[in-house]
Amino acid sequence: MKFKNILVLMIVFVLALSACAPKPAEVSDDLPAACQEDAFGCAVIPAGETIKIGMGAPMLGDYSMFGIDISQAVALALEHDDGFEGWTYELIAEDTGGAPEGGAAVANKMVTDPTVAAIAGHIFSGSTDAAMPIYEKAGLPMMSPSATNPDLTTKGSTVFNRLAFTDAAQGAAAADLLFNALGFTKIAVMHDGGTYGQGLADVVKAAFEEMGGEVVGYEAVTPGEADYVAPLSAVAAGEPEAVYFGGYAAEGIVMMNQWSQAGLDGVLFFGCDGTFGVEFTDKTGANGEGAIAASLVPPDSEEKAAFDAAYAAKFPTKAGELSAFTWSSYDTGGVLIAAIESVAFVEDGKLFIPRGALVEAVRNSDYVGLTGLIKCDAIGECNASGPAFYQVVDGEWVPLAAAEE
Amino acid sequence: MKTSLTKGLRSGIVFGIVFIFLMLIGFINVGADMVGDISSASAASGAGGRLPVGDLLIVIAVFGVFCGIAARSKSEEVQWWSALLGGLTAGITAGLLMGVAIWLVGSLSLDGVDFRTYLPSLNPASIQYLTFYSYPQSAGLTYLMYMAIFSVAGAALAWLLSFRDWLAKSWNSCKTGLGGWFEKKDVSRIFSNQWLMIVVFLAAGILLYFLPLAWGSYWNYIMGTVAIYILLGLGLNIIVGYSGQLVLGYVAFFATGAYTFALLTAPTPHGIEMNLWLAVGLSILVSTLTGLLLGLPILNLRGDYLAIVTLGFGEIVRILIRSDLLTSLTNGPKGVTSVGQPNLFGSPFSDVNFMHLLMLLVLIGLFIAKRLKDSNTGRAWIAIREDQTVAQATGINTFKHKILALLLGAAFAGLAGALFASRNQFTGPEDFTLMVSVNVLCIVIVGGMGSLPGVVLGAFVLKGIPELLREMADYRLLVFGALLVVMMIVRPEGLWPARRVRFKRSHADPDRQDAVEVEV
Amino acid sequence: MASGYPLPQQKSKLLLHKGWGSEVTSPSFHVYRSEIILMINKLKNQRLTLGLILRLLLGLAVVIYLGWRIYQTAFGEGTYGPDTWMRFLITGLVIGGMYALIAIGYTLVYGILFMINFAHGEVMMLGTFAGYFVLEAFAAIPAPTVANPDLNFLNAQPVIALVLTFLVGAGFSALMGYMLEKIAYRPLRGAPRLIPLISAIGASIFLQNAAQLLFGPQRRQYLNPDFLWRGTGWMILVGGKEVMLTYTGVFSFVLSILLMIGLFIMVKKTKLGKSMRAVAENKQAAALMGIDVDSVISKTFIISGILAGAAGVMWGLHNGLFNHFVGFLPGIKAFTAAVLGGIGNIPGAMMGGMLLGLLESIGPALLGIDFQLKDVIAFTILILVLIFRPSGLLGEALSEEKV
Repeated sequence: MKFKNILVLMIVFVLALSACAPKPAEVSDDLPAACQEDAFGCAVIPAGETIKIGMGAPMLGDYSMFGIDISQAVALALEHDDGFEGWTYELIAEDTGGAPEGGAAVANKMVTDPTVAAIAGHIFSGSTDAAMPIYEKAGLPMMSPSATNPDLTTKGSTVFNRLAFTDAAQGAAAADLLFNALGFTKIAVMHDGGTYGQGLADVVKAAFEEMGGEVVGYEAVTPGEADYVAPLSAVAAGEPEAVYFGGYAAEGIVMMNQWSQAGLDGVLFFGCDGTFGVEFTDKTGANGEGAIAASLVPPDSEEKAAFDAAYAAKFPTKAGELSAFTWSSYDTGGVLIAAIESVAFVEDGKLFIPRGALVEAVRNSDYVGLTGLIKCDAIGECNASGPAFYQVVDGEWVPLAAAEE
Repeated sequence: MKTSLTKGLRSGIVFGIVFIFLMLIGFINVGADMVGDISSASAASGAGGRLPVGDLLIVIAVFGVFCGIAARSKSEEVQWWSALLGGLTAGITAGLLMGVAIWLVGSLSLDGVDFRTYLPSLNPASIQYLTFYSYPQSAGLTYLMYMAIFSVAGAALAWLLSFRDWLAKSWNSCKTGLGGWFEKKDVSRIFSNQWLMIVVFLAAGILLYFLPLAWGSYWNYIMGTVAIYILLGLGLNIIVGYSGQLVLGYVAFFATGAYTFALLTAPTPHGIEMNLWLAVGLSILVSTLTGLLLGLPILNLRGDYLAIVTLGFGEIVRILIRSDLLTSLTNGPKGVTSVGQPNLFGSPFSDVNFMHLLMLLVLIGLFIAKRLKDSNTGRAWIAIREDQTVAQATGINTFKHKILALLLGAAFAGLAGALFASRNQFTGPEDFTLMVSVNVLCIVIVGGMGSLPGVVLGAFVLKGIPELLREMADYRLLVFGALLVVMMIVRPEGLWPARRVRFKRSHADPDRQDAVEVEV
Repeated sequence: MASGYPLPQQKSKLLLHKGWGSEVTSPSFHVYRSEIILMINKLKNQRLTLGLILRLLLGLAVVIYLGWRIYQTAFGEGTYGPDTWMRFLITGLVIGGMYALIAIGYTLVYGILFMINFAHGEVMMLGTFAGYFVLEAFAAIPAPTVANPDLNFLNAQPVIALVLTFLVGAGFSALMGYMLEKIAYRPLRGAPRLIPLISAIGASIFLQNAAQLLFGPQRRQYLNPDFLWRGTGWMILVGGKEVMLTYTGVFSFVLSILLMIGLFIMVKKTKLGKSMRAVAENKQAAALMGIDVDSVISKTFIISGILAGAAGVMWGLHNGLFNHFVGFLPGIKAFTAAVLGGIGNIPGAMMGGMLLGLLESIGPALLGIDFQLKDVIAFTILILVLIFRPSGLLGEALSEEKV
């Protein structure tokens, strides 16, 4: 009877796989007391293994510049550290594709690894939103250098913290710049439908209308397409003076290259931290002149210069070229290391990191990094330095001087 | 002798090009890494971060052996010197191609040309490794020599083995597959003993119960994915395997099941948070209704049209879920978070319990599928699959049966979707792309169309094995694609094909009408 | 031929062989008249089944909904001006031309082998890559003149460069199509339909990932010659406002039309075209007539590869950014277009491609819905067309026996 065959087959397979599967860490009853009392247990790192910091970032595909840049900076931070009592740190950056689904998948994988202590991420707001409840259940603390959506810290999560400014600040600053500094009264707002993009677009729309301006067009584009002439033309029909775009450089580039075709000649393209970077200027060339975006460059200091040199020596791009978050990523690494080293202890030749204690330690961080003092408030906002706006002049991003006024 | 030469030449060119391709994608370095891991006799990388060259030589040697084997002219008996000559030709051709390529790349790299803008895998470090950290010319010659020598060796090996017919026999037994093994006399005797089978069942049950406990959560996660895909495969097997309708939009049912479950149990968009088991039931129902909605208008379409229409339907569902239009219902591209977790009388399921639940559901699904196949409905489906017109002529209501197949397949997908959403604690529109449909279709066909053990095997192979090969993670899909093509050419009936009921006339007296053997 | 008008059943069989030019003679008025008589008879005898009623209701609902939506957009407030419609139209035509070229490739292969060549989108992608490398190579060759010491070959001889780019792009795609057929499809020649489909899917996945591993996952940008730079074009006045006709857009559209005309002539007039039609009609009979079936099939793949490669280069020139994934979505859409027009039917594929491009562009605006939903429109139209006309808009090139 075939049914038995199926069963036997399953058994054979499962036996084979369990033979090949790596043996999980010994689940012994003699865990240290601190671990048994901790609500989430401990991260157990045997001798010879590394303390892992996880990250969910878009490492491949259209948005890979963010993932590559941020993971490189965090990896550099982990490398510069000497380790803790003989254990070194390692970054595990897994690809999320820039989508919430990828964020959830990476989170589900990270929580199954007992050597992952903390998460430097995730990078995109959408994938952070999806991953948060999963990490919350497992007690893995998060420190994101770039997830800027304002709602992320309003959900009452105890594990999520971020170093980046919120989009509430960015959107309000952008609307203020558009209305007051640049004097536009009619703008159009576009977004890519994601948590980050649409969140930002909505903030700008509301703020602009509150100031008395008029939003003549509000369109969504589908990410990943090659032709946005249709939605851009629809927006152009309203004759806006500027177009605000909440989204990432991949879409921004396509839009800028089709600007004239859509009838938007002479209309300003106002982007966000997602559209910043050398990729944008490279791929738009002359079409991108005058576009505005936001970035987060810390003030000059000795440490910053040293970091810039180290980054340029190790990687083919410079800090701040691929994305706006290189420096805050470096600080993320530092903050997480500091928090881990404050609660970790060694017993029986193994390293134990009580998870609940680590979550609290990250929330109570008090660290001075490249971007300034990093101290988290009750909901997880750790660094309130707002975005700075930049404009493309002659193919380079230069600060949008207050001389614009 | 001429055929040996031409065959050698052809196989040499092919292997040379394949090697150059693998070199350009960086696979050779990964191969050398793997060799290093296996042998682990080679101490850690030598001074200055240099990788052990011996591993690379082993890779080339193995490549050469295969080249030699491929050069063997399979058609007629060849003299030993002819076979060796073929091997030599193959080796020299391939070696020449490889050597020239390495020499070119190596010299250009030494001159300072950076390939990385166009070919990112050719970073200077790996080029140096490929040229054995020496001069490109000598490296090229080394390649030529090694390929020539080992191709000859390979050809000799193949020639020697051709005298043994155990090779042919084992190949034939491979062809009949695992199913054939089970039918052999002594093996089937085990299966016919009832008491022994009960013991086997019990042992299997206990094993299945304890395995999730021993695995660790990572393997639970992977096996959970495999289990969900088994359920999906079972559903699609009913539609494609039993009733022969090519449906490329299966992911639509998966999506509706997952989203129904997520929206009913997650706090955010609607805050309904109903009882989980009820939600599972409802998601199966909604999926089935979707199947009905899809099936009714298009059921009379011919095979390929059905395929593209269902493909379109799958895409429509995904785009609608993520659109602004339905954002208030589905939360758009942000997806639904904190999807409900199963619990029994208040205590939540751990991942081990979830795995047990999945196993139980898979076993129930297998049972249902098996009973369906052996029923009148199953036979009707197979008749429709073989020849719809004839089936109709024998009185089968094709419309009813085709719709039934679609509904049952959708129901399986709905169940799988609910479990998927619950396990991931999140669901979003990009989880339901066309590739999911394609993956499930591949599971069904690679495993063996219409065969239940085939579906299980297919799910393990296509979903479980890639996790074992994590080092080769970048090359996973490449190997997957190549594997599909090779599988279809070499073994199109699948890994574990379904056995068909066949009538054989008794050879003793071909005229006797009642002398039929039924092979089940 | 009998005198008077022929028996209805004979002539209608001829009419079923629409497309691909396999008609023995072009239908005359009498034939159409007898067809109409047949149809009226069929309607008279049609039983009022539930399916028919449902279909009529559905058709009515669709027509009413579309009409209402279009009325709202055309005459309601907040409508677009004629310049915006012109922009939609232009974009639609350009994209439609590219889809049509790829769709012809699908249809050619289907007509001959009855298989869906899933890897055709990847063949187009490889053409895009090939064209990219040629342009980069040309741009790297310096050709300084007195006036412009920084000039490179690409801008010094743009026409030659472009011609060579297209030749190499189309040629590489043709080669890939040929190899694809030889490696992945020829061994499966007699197998049931699903097997070559899976093989095609495998080949598609393999080619996509091979391109990704070889060239990296990042997006690359086409280096157009200066006179054909993206975003530049003629400005025409429509309704008082300026609308841009991009150079690349016009170029792509004109080239698509030329290639389609060329293909049509080839299929109708040349010997190869005749052999292709014969093999599509009946392989065994063609073989008996002395046609080398294998060679004709290879040549079909080569031709479809040429068209896809040309479409790929056009795509790169017009849209600029591409990566290894660029062939996936256009491949699916082109296949949809081919089915929409009637698979196996070359004019059908051309029409389907243009129609799909226009639908994508104008459809959302016309119906007043989000641009995100343009694929939904395309697929819904496909489903509706297939419900009411199961063999596609222009019918298919298969006779009753083959079904």
